[in-house]
Amino acid sequence: MRVADKTLNALATSLNFRQMRQELISSNVANAETPGYKAKRLSFEEALARALDVDGELSMKVNDAGHYDVGGGGFSNLQPTIEEEVNGIVSEDGNNVDRDRELALMAENEILYDTTVQLLNKKLALMKYAIQSER
Amino acid sequence: MDLLSSLRISSSALGANQKRIGAINSNIANAQTTRTAEGGPYRRKEVVFGSEPVRETFGEILEGELDAQAQAVHATEVISTDRPPILKYEPNHPDANADGYVAYPDINVMEEMANMIQTTRSYEANINAMNATKRMAKKALEIGR
Repeated sequence: MRVADKTLNALATSLNFRQMRQELISSNVANAETPGYKAKRLSFEEALARALDVDGELSMKVNDAGHYDVGGGGFSNLQPTIEEEVNGIVSEDGNNVDRDRELALMAENEILYDTTVQLLNKKLALMKYAIQSER
Repeated sequence: MDLLSSLRISSSALGANQKRIGAINSNIANAQTTRTAEGGPYRRKEVVFGSEPVRETFGEILEGELDAQAQAVHATEVISTDRPPILKYEPNHPDANADGYVAYPDINVMEEMANMIQTTRSYEANINAMNATKRMAKKALEIGR
């Protein structure tokens, strides 16, 4: 068992991005009445799935030790994308923030964040158990 | 980008909404004011919001583009709307003009109340966002317990 394995990496990255998403949603709620402001969305799920590469189908096949695997790109250079919301009703001052929708997204984000923290705790507990089981 | 700047964004919105409530209170209180320091009747105030990137510390300024995306809000200006005053015939009023008309500000108290409710809801939404951020930060402290 390697200490810095994929699971820990993926969970930590996911926590990081959920914090970013929380910040963007806070920004959307705060600017719900700012003229010309457009709601912003952060997407990272696809990039994370690519980095995780559970099926192993996305990484490059290598048949020689001298070849480098450039496949999923790993976690270190994972970049989320931020886009402006194109849907939604644009009010007469050019703002398209739907406050209720933002709060719903925020609740969803918070629940998934808590889930990730729990998973991380389970994973750490498992490692602790493996370390102590010889006694 | 972290949870602390999320808190700062939400608190900036609380401040901006308080300014707006202040302007609304002033409008309601002065709905019948015919004499002001600038002369003439009271003019209805409106607060305009603007957004700005949350950058306070040196480290944040150094950080890349992502940071510029999440924006705090602040009250950029207070404008006096130029709705024409309502003229009422009250020849005995000290502020009456030569024809006996008094200029009252065109303030609809119902409209101000509706704005006040909307601003209160906005304030509450930001409090909710703040509480969610706070819960997330506390949850992160439980990692490894």
